[in-house]
Amino acid sequence: MNKYLQVFKISFQQEFAYRLNFIMWRVRNVLQIFVVFFLWDTVFSFREGELFGYDRDRILTYVFGLIFIKAFVLSARAQDVAGEIARGDIINYLLKPVSYFKYWLTRDISSKALNLIFAVFEFGILYLILKPPFYFQTNPFQILLSVVAICIAIYTFYLILFIVNVIPFWAPEMGWGGHFLVTVILVEFLSGSLFPLDILPANLQNILSFTPFPYLIFFPLQVYLGKITGLLLLKGIVVSLVWIVILWFFMKWVWNKGFKAYQAYGR
Amino acid sequence: MLRVSASRCYTLAMNKNTKEVVEKTIIVEHLTKNFEITEKKAGLLGSLQSLFTPSKKTVRALKSITFSIAQGELVGFIGPNGAGKTTTLKILSGLLYPTAGFTQVLGYDPWVRHPEFLKQIALVMGQKNQLWWDLPAIDTFELNSAIYEIPSKKYKETLDELTTILEVKKILNTQVRRLSLGQRMRLELVAALLHQPKVLFLDEPTIGLDVVGQQKVRDFIFEYNKKYSATIMLTSHNMDDLIDLAKRVIVIDKGQILFDGYLKELVAQFAKEKIIKVYLSKEADVKRFDDIGRVKRFSYPQAIIAVPREASAVAAAELLQNFPVADLTIEEEPVEDIIRRVFKGEVVKKNK
Repeated sequence: MNKYLQVFKISFQQEFAYRLNFIMWRVRNVLQIFVVFFLWDTVFSFREGELFGYDRDRILTYVFGLIFIKAFVLSARAQDVAGEIARGDIINYLLKPVSYFKYWLTRDISSKALNLIFAVFEFGILYLILKPPFYFQTNPFQILLSVVAICIAIYTFYLILFIVNVIPFWAPEMGWGGHFLVTVILVEFLSGSLFPLDILPANLQNILSFTPFPYLIFFPLQVYLGKITGLLLLKGIVVSLVWIVILWFFMKWVWNKGFKAYQAYGR
Repeated sequence: MLRVSASRCYTLAMNKNTKEVVEKTIIVEHLTKNFEITEKKAGLLGSLQSLFTPSKKTVRALKSITFSIAQGELVGFIGPNGAGKTTTLKILSGLLYPTAGFTQVLGYDPWVRHPEFLKQIALVMGQKNQLWWDLPAIDTFELNSAIYEIPSKKYKETLDELTTILEVKKILNTQVRRLSLGQRMRLELVAALLHQPKVLFLDEPTIGLDVVGQQKVRDFIFEYNKKYSATIMLTSHNMDDLIDLAKRVIVIDKGQILFDGYLKELVAQFAKEKIIKVYLSKEADVKRFDDIGRVKRFSYPQAIIAVPREASAVAAAELLQNFPVADLTIEEEPVEDIIRRVFKGEVVKKNK
């Protein structure tokens, strides 16, 4: 366990290596929140009532939550795995008594932890400036489960990302293609990070609920907003856990096959 | 009753067998490795074509090689580019899956990558780095110490020792990207040896270093081999590395072992020429040297002439007769030249 604690530590230090980059990235985050806030604030200042079943407070909370969860779930270090395989840097870790999968999971978590610390800080300041009418969930059970859902989302996304990123074992030049397909097209579109998924037709929503994607963004947010409760909530947790098991075995299988095909190119 | 004793016999036999196998640190038998390579024509059109109709080609990197290395041996692994040296080292350290054949290192099958196996080996490649580029080297060392589960007291001792010998104490806290190549390479060695591996695979450890840096690394490898009686396999294009370090060499070319034995034997077997050095007492017609042998260098009063081995006595006699010779010596061909020819892939006769 100490191994991964040390990996966590060094990743954390690495994040600070390029300070200017880091600051610019945080500034971008803050600006993004401003833009989104004023956009939706303006939309609701022209009309009363609800839009797609969301009132002003909830849509603002949804949008804010979206930025928050997206920054947390979808921002991942593990997208560097493809490059590491293609360049051959992966060799350094394959030579050591350390699990490559857990190594990158740790690096992901470390990056997310840093993200979280700064996000909370920025969020606090922005809240004081904008004083938005947020919807605060008061049911502790609902809050707890949304945290559980976020943890599931993080792990699910990591598994998907890891699977996609070992493609270069077979084709070193194909790394970015798979990454683009999965993270940009599938995840952005089907996870609810572009729009709330419940504006889609009901049968489409139903189909989607059996894929792993809504559980990355949409589901945890809906749990927090109190829009998914009871049996539906239970179903969601079960389905997403089943997906974790499936993806985990698939990842194992792909890794073993890929590593065997690996040619440890060049040099 | 009978059954019990029979099974015990079997166990005994097994033990004996395993022990025999373990005595040699590295065992390679009929190791074969093929690579599938997708060929691509030049240009954009070629790329598109290969996307739809990839033409695959099998490259036979290793063709049934066999050798073994005892504990504490330092073996030079030499051959021209693309001979299969690095492929062999990668297979022995568990990075590549062999196509066929048997490999065993320290009693383990490398491919399984058993943690206990990985804790006892290291592969250092002159062109690969494991140090974290943006951080001081000491951070990588601490990470490695945790990964290899080195007890903190032992870690401190080893670190102190390695950094003293390699003279890198002062740069431990400097960001790696600010260091010179030579400094980095020495720090890479520290990172790779913190866990005191019993088996060390070194792939071009002195590449890109200046003469002083090369010597430091070389001295260190020699020391390490002596002190820990570590088994070391070394590939290098640097002839000094081999001459200084390796008693035994394995010559490999096109995936086959051409020679396996002492460096001295290789020289004896491969030295086809002798070198005659002549000091002239007065000017003479230099062209006439060509009749005797191949003139390697001439700057009055010294001439260096290479002659076939068996003709060296005759050549010397002729020189003495026909030239105003002040002094004459007959020497063996320098080891560098021989190894250079081996690198060029000139065919060597099989030893055994």
